[in-house]
Amino acid sequence: MDEKKKKIFDKGINISKKDIFFIILAFSILIIFYILPTPEGLTFSGKLMIGILLMAAILWITEPIPLAVTGLLVMILQPLLGINDAKTVFSSFGNQAVFFLIGAFIIAAAIEKHGLHRRIALRFLSFFENNPRYFTLGIMLSCALLTFIMPEHGVAALFLPIIISILIAMKIIPRKSNFGIISMLAVAYGCSIGSLGTLIGGARNPLAIGILADLETPIIVSFFDWMIYAIPVVLIALPLVWLVLQFAFPIKIKDISKAKKEIDKQVASQGKLSIKEYKVIIILILTILFWVIFSGSSYYGLGIIAILGSVLLFLIGSIKWEDIEKRVPWGIILLYGGAITLGLGMQGTNIPGGTGAGIWISDKLFNFVGNDLVIVILAMIIFTIILTNIMSNVAAVAIILPIGLSIATKIGINPLLATMVITLSGGLAFMFVISTPGNAITYSSGYFSTRDLFKAGLIANIICIMVIFAVAIFYWMGILNLHIT
Amino acid sequence: MFKNILIPISSEFYSKNVLLRSAFLAEKFNSNLNLVYIIEEKTFNEIDKIVSTYRTVADKEESKRELISKQIQTADQIIFDDAKQILKDKQIPFEEKIIEGEFTDKIKEELNKKQYDLILMGFKKECYLNYRLFEEVKIPVWVVGQGTSKKILAVCSNLAPNQKVPDLSIKLAYHLEWELNMLYVIDTEDSVYVDKNGIRSDIKTKEDLLSQGQNFVNEMRQKGINAELVQGSLEKQTLIKAEAIKANLVIVGREQKKKGILGLPVKNLKKKIVEKCKYSILFLN
Repeated sequence: MDEKKKKIFDKGINISKKDIFFIILAFSILIIFYILPTPEGLTFSGKLMIGILLMAAILWITEPIPLAVTGLLVMILQPLLGINDAKTVFSSFGNQAVFFLIGAFIIAAAIEKHGLHRRIALRFLSFFENNPRYFTLGIMLSCALLTFIMPEHGVAALFLPIIISILIAMKIIPRKSNFGIISMLAVAYGCSIGSLGTLIGGARNPLAIGILADLETPIIVSFFDWMIYAIPVVLIALPLVWLVLQFAFPIKIKDISKAKKEIDKQVASQGKLSIKEYKVIIILILTILFWVIFSGSSYYGLGIIAILGSVLLFLIGSIKWEDIEKRVPWGIILLYGGAITLGLGMQGTNIPGGTGAGIWISDKLFNFVGNDLVIVILAMIIFTIILTNIMSNVAAVAIILPIGLSIATKIGINPLLATMVITLSGGLAFMFVISTPGNAITYSSGYFSTRDLFKAGLIANIICIMVIFAVAIFYWMGILNLHIT
Repeated sequence: MFKNILIPISSEFYSKNVLLRSAFLAEKFNSNLNLVYIIEEKTFNEIDKIVSTYRTVADKEESKRELISKQIQTADQIIFDDAKQILKDKQIPFEEKIIEGEFTDKIKEELNKKQYDLILMGFKKECYLNYRLFEEVKIPVWVVGQGTSKKILAVCSNLAPNQKVPDLSIKLAYHLEWELNMLYVIDTEDSVYVDKNGIRSDIKTKEDLLSQGQNFVNEMRQKGINAELVQGSLEKQTLIKAEAIKANLVIVGREQKKKGILGLPVKNLKKKIVEKCKYSILFLN
């Protein structure tokens, strides 16, 4: 424990002076917004929502309290300050996407419990063990593919010991080898990029479709729709970021035979697929098929299918309640709740005589960037990527998406386009250890420094800004016409 | 001079140069080497904080267990293996162990268990560990850097007692058969004088400090040491001179430079010098 971090309250609670400072700062901002006169054109509730937004942003960036607790605070402050009644605030928590998240976590828990993820990871890796460069590509691809069916941080945690074992077998010294650096960064970036591809990879994806479904004119995005929109970004960004890593850290080693031996050893230690694993695979495939085919239906839907898959896992004995207690991170669900109510609060404070917070902020932003759609899209991507690098990506999307939706309304484009631009940009946190759990988990291996991460992350982020921009202009707008309302 | 050398290696950073330098010193001084691999607790705490919302307690514990086991493997199969190759060939005795905890705390615990004469370690700026041991341990700390010359730069100043640095640097230069260069810096950012007990005086005039410095330099020159008097910021002058002579080792004493500007804390002098100097540094605490 850092000695500078003094125990202030009692033995059980560690809170530093720095944490107290940020808590006071966050609440002071809210109080200032309460006291300040309401600007022309903005409602009083809208003004308070901006205060809550800034308060949440400070707490989500500095994290003096857990992210999920800030989410809860965002929820209760709205009724307490008279912005929205308790019923409205808590009803947004009943959004189908919440149950999709819960179901997806339960299915992921079953995969982890039976070690299926490790088997899949090793099998993928074994296809790329002939050349050091392709091996690092194999790591990225394997991570990305697994994040299509599991949360990204779970995949990063899975790959960490596998890759360290391989690097130890190869006698790669931590922080001294470009191969070691790339291998670990490939895990972090592979997970981040892959998590854009389906609704499962990152909690921000269901958050986005949850907010879209709760709009005054709801927009329903199915599992398959999301893949159609997002997979091209994954397919383009993945090889480009891999190339960035190759240029940033040229690999000098040529012999990868020890890695091959280690992978083969680990594959062999897995043995044959057990009946239990077969059962989980069948349920997983069925659930994904149902998501792809039926998730647009108002009767089935994402949440229903996710919970159905989860219940089936219980019925066939693949998972027990203790596994759920052990493996489902309820904190994300609470964070999600706060994020979605923040979004709705920002949207829902429009009343006669004044606009809500989202519309008001978008008005002000137009004074800076104008209303050229191309420039607005580029600004959204850049701003989201900057914010997601300094705070949780769910929180970053929660803060920017309501503003993005108001901008979409203002310039008369489909909110779906703004949502895809912001949500996918929100997953590209490459530069800092704190940016995303995947970066932090892989950093703990000791194979790369914060400087290595920043160097590669900065270039990778610039490349990804261009990728999302190009996909937005040529694919989403040019081919899919997502901008048309 | 250095009978027992403690070589702490953090799980955050390992440099083979530390082992090579330890072999060099052990040969010169017939030293016993004690390698301690420290699995850095602070890294786990920081990472735990970042992933707290996303991972359950069980997940985090499982990951921590796996990571610790991998770090033990790294220590055994890479670092201690290097040590065996480097040290056993030269028949240098050494002990090795792996512990878990906060870097500085664990080093201080080790110092309480055994009489050590020197800490020999590497340094990496971009780490979670904060290297507060530079300020908190009482024995010399040798931070291994680059440099192949046979030159020592010993730094004295108006901000240090200047007792240990001249004595030890003369002895070290003699044993290593390296050229000794003495630098006396009059720190213009902090115009005080530090006495033999490490107590700072009131503000002194520039003339007082110059005369004090000149006396010191003359004394060294009488002993046949190449000594030079300069004025400016202590850390900047040290770095300039180290670069000018391409020093292999820079020796710095108990500098008592004021710790803040306008009452605000600033980065400590020693860490600042280590971060900017590419050569090895020996802090005489």
